[in-house]
Formats: sequence, C-alpha cells, structure tokens
Amino acid sequence: MSTMSTPSPKESIARRLAPVLTLLLLASLMALPLVVTDTYSLHFIWKVLFWAAIAAAWNIAGGYAGLFSLGHAAFFGLGAYTSILLYMQAGVSPWIGMIVGSLVALCFSLAIGLLTLRLRGSFFALATIAFAEVLRIAVVNGRDVTGGSEGLSVSFAPGLVNMIFQDRASYVVLMAAVLFVIGATTLLIERSALGYSLAALREDEDAAEALGIDTIRVKLIAIAISAFLSAVTGTLYAFYILLIEPTTVLGIGFSVEIALIAIIGGMGTVLGPLLGAILIVPLSEYLRAEFAASLQGLYLLIYGTILIVMVVFLPNGLISAIRDPRSVLRRVRRRKSASSRPEEKADA
Amino acid sequence: MLEVRHLTKRFGGLAAVNDVSLTLNKGEILGLIGPNGAGKTTFFNCVAGAMQPSEGQVLLEGRELTGKKAHDVCRAGIGRTYQIVKPFGKLSVRDNVLVGALNQTRNVADARRIADEALELTGLADQRNVLAASMPLPRRKRLEIARALATGPKILLLDEVMAGLNPSEVELAIDLIKTLRSRGIAILIIEHLMRVITSVSDRIVVMHHGEKLAEGAPSAVMNDPKVVEAYLGEGFVAQD
Repeated sequence: MSTMSTPSPKESIARRLAPVLTLLLLASLMALPLVVTDTYSLHFIWKVLFWAAIAAAWNIAGGYAGLFSLGHAAFFGLGAYTSILLYMQAGVSPWIGMIVGSLVALCFSLAIGLLTLRLRGSFFALATIAFAEVLRIAVVNGRDVTGGSEGLSVSFAPGLVNMIFQDRASYVVLMAAVLFVIGATTLLIERSALGYSLAALREDEDAAEALGIDTIRVKLIAIAISAFLSAVTGTLYAFYILLIEPTTVLGIGFSVEIALIAIIGGMGTVLGPLLGAILIVPLSEYLRAEFAASLQGLYLLIYGTILIVMVVFLPNGLISAIRDPRSVLRRVRRRKSASSRPEEKADA
Repeated sequence: MLEVRHLTKRFGGLAAVNDVSLTLNKGEILGLIGPNGAGKTTFFNCVAGAMQPSEGQVLLEGRELTGKKAHDVCRAGIGRTYQIVKPFGKLSVRDNVLVGALNQTRNVADARRIADEALELTGLADQRNVLAASMPLPRRKRLEIARALATGPKILLLDEVMAGLNPSEVELAIDLIKTLRSRGIAILIIEHLMRVITSVSDRIVVMHHGEKLAEGAPSAVMNDPKVVEAYLGEGFVAQD
C-alpha cells in the first residue's frame, strides 16, 4: 500500500505560488491590449476574460460552496437587464445601474437560497434551472418593459459615464479589472473563516454543523456574493454587446456553459475558471471556424466529445494536471489497463 | 451543568428514547451504556441538536437548548463526536481541526493556533499535514475528538470513540479522556467496552429499550442484577 503522507514540498510550493501565478496571468492579460490592437484579437481577449469572470463568479457558489447552480444566467441577466433598463428609461449611468442590478440579483439569490438550500445535490441544480426559466419566461412576456424576446438594444453613445467606449481596449481593461476583483474576492474567501467553513460543509454537512457552522447561513453568503459578481459581469456584457436578448443572457444553455468552464478548469480553485476559459473559448472559436462551413452542428459534436474526454481524464479540472501531473498520468494508465483487462475494476 | 429532563424521541410509533433524564456535573465523566439499539446515539443526537426531541428539555447551565440547531448547540458549548467518523477527507488534519476552532474565533491565525494545541493534546501533531482521508481509523477517531475539542466545549459528547482500537490505543484514549477532564471539560461518553467505561466513568447510566434502567457508581451499576440481565444477558446472572 502506498501511503499518502505529508504533501511533497513541491506541491506546497505550487500552492504558495498559485496566487502569484494568478496575478502574473492577470497582469499579462491586462497588458495585452497595449500590444494587441486589431479589433478581432481584442474582441477575442475580451471573450476569454468575460467567460473567465462569469465562471469565476459561479465558482464561488458552485465550486466553493458546492451549490451546483445551473441557473446563474438569472443573476447575470438580472444585472444586464436592470442596468440597461435604468439607462434607457431613466438615463441612469451604468456604473450606478451595475450596483443596483447586482443588488437586485443578490436579493433574488437570497430568496432562491432560502427556498432551495435545504435541497441537496441535483435537486438544488434542478431548482435553480426552474427559477432561471421562470425569470426568462417573465422577461419574454413582459414585452412593454423588457422588449420581449427581441430584447433591448442600446444606441452607441460613447462616454465614460455611459460605460460605452470608442476603442475595444477599454472594454478589455474593464473586464480584466472585474476578473481581477472576482479572483481577489475568491482568494480572500479561500483564506478566511468563510472559506474553511465552505470547505468543511462541502465535505460533510452534518459534521460541519456539529462543529458550530451554520451551514445555511454560510451557503447564503456564498450564493449572494456569487450572484452579485455575476450581475456585475452581466452589466459589463450588456454595455459591450449593446444588445441583450432573453435567450442568450437568461437561457439555460448559457447557465450550463458557465458551469462547464469552471468544471473544465477546476472547480473550487482560484485559477480554475481562468484556465477553463483560456482553453474552451479558443477551442470553440476554432472548431466553429473550421467546421461550421462543412456540416451544420459538426463543430458542436466535436466540442462535446472533447469535453467528455476531458471530464473523464481530468475530473478535477485542468488545474489538477498542473498541480499534480503524475496523478493524471496514473489515471490515464489505469484506464488503459482497465480497458485491456475488462474483468478488473478500474476504481481504486 | 448539563441537565436533560424527560427526553423522549419517537420515530412513528416507536420511542427510541423514552423519558430519559440525567444530569452531568462539572468536571464529571458520565458513562452511558446499554445494549445495541438501546437508544444511546439517538439520545446523543437529541442533546446535540442533530435531531429534535419529541418531548423533554435539554438545559446547559440552566439555559434552554431544546430544539436548537446543531451549530447553536456547539456554539453554546457542547462538542460532539460521531460514532461513524466524519472527517473532512480532502482537508489536512490540521485544517480539519481548524474548522472546529473557528467556533471560538473568526480569525484564521488564532484558529490555527487553537488547532495546533488540540493536535498536540490528542497526539496528532506530527500528522497535521496528512490528508484526513488517508489516515487509519484509530487516528481518525482521535481526529474526531481533536476537532470537537477545538470548538472549545464545556461538555464533550463522545460516541464510541474507542470502538475498533487495539488495547494499547485504548490505553492512550483513556489517558486522553482523563486529560480532557482535568482541563475542566465534563464528558458524557457512550462506550461498549466494559473495562473502559468502568475504569473511566465517575457514574454510569444504563439505557435499555430506550429507557433508563439504572444509574449510579460503576461498581454498583455493574452488580445490579437488572443491568447484568439486560446488558450482559441472562447467562451471566445464572453463572453468578
């Protein structure tokens, strides 16, 4: 029997380096717009940052608190719709609208949380889908205010107050700043009493309760922070794209993709969502460009296959391959030997 | 210190615990014994807030704890261990105990210090960086105690912390329990091992079919024919 003794010094160094690495990665991403200037590349960088940010916001609830939400589009959409409506109807600056929208999403998340947090596992996920769908349908039917399924579009009126910029670089810097804030928040949570409480309840809720952790309260805090940050990202999205529709910003497909990026990158880690976005966004972009012309939907098939392979071999996300590459190799080898000798069970 | 009055817990028509009262005094070790299915663990769960009692009262230093949630009970000063250990497997031993220490302070650095003390006291200090999931059962049982201890309890509820230990490990565990008592923690302990419970307890309460059968000093209880019959079986009575 191989004994799992103290973690090797290498690993603890990797752990200590993680925040430094995060900062370096983010700093280089923020510096990119200084070097890269063409519109397409900037849009592409914005997309990576955007997916990293929304996945990182999800990660606080989904990864850290174990609240596997498949309805985060609701929080995102609430942020986007609130700030756009305030801007269009009352001329309120998106900077203020962003805060208002995020508070609306926060309240919505608390309401959902109080109703559903007693549900565990997949029941919670199902409940979040239901809430997001209810919101989407309400927006589609609230034509007079929300513009129905056609959505709302904002006229292009550049200005710092309007959060609308002539150049894309400003958008990239803004999104990088938000990603930085979300990353820093995650890191702070991870090292605080809240982070330890979350880690405990993720492992065993009853034991956490017995040690004095108010599990419901801790989960509510996590989902509220997550919803708030998701809505911030929603506002940024709305004032970059300048068009929001219920199917894209409130749809279940969007919710699933948010979760997917965090899972692929590594749930419950600071760097995971960023890694996920760095891999997934170029991948889907490339596949779409390469295969979209030849056969409708073929790119989705390939995309799906790659995701399945990744989840099978890297169930703890890309981050696990960086932290402990040997364990991944072991897993691959075990799979191989298991498939060549089907009578033996692969699980240890 | 801890006073349980007429505690009853029904599951449907079955009373798993039926009208059990007991008092735990300051600095006392009270043994709770009884055959399998006597309702000992259910009794624990009702005191610790993991289950809500159907009837009766739980008072800690005169303050009502009945029906409080588990985390509130812990906050009030009652720590517990689980018979089937529940370590946070993916956390290190130290972080496991640190989580318990957060019951005393919200400051992580302070909590780490409290955790290290608890690890020292329970003899797990050299294991602090090991993942909890990779430890053998005896150590996980000790981890369970260390974690409960780190919450800073006035009272510890220990549920079969010695089951599955070998004799020398049992010796260590007995020493540990006595050390805890010397630090002013009152202890209510469920244990199957007769030798352990008689040597460690100041008083013993015997449960049988959910009811309190006897109560008193270890020697008196052990010689009570009612107890011998219920707990050890009729054979023992006949042989005597």
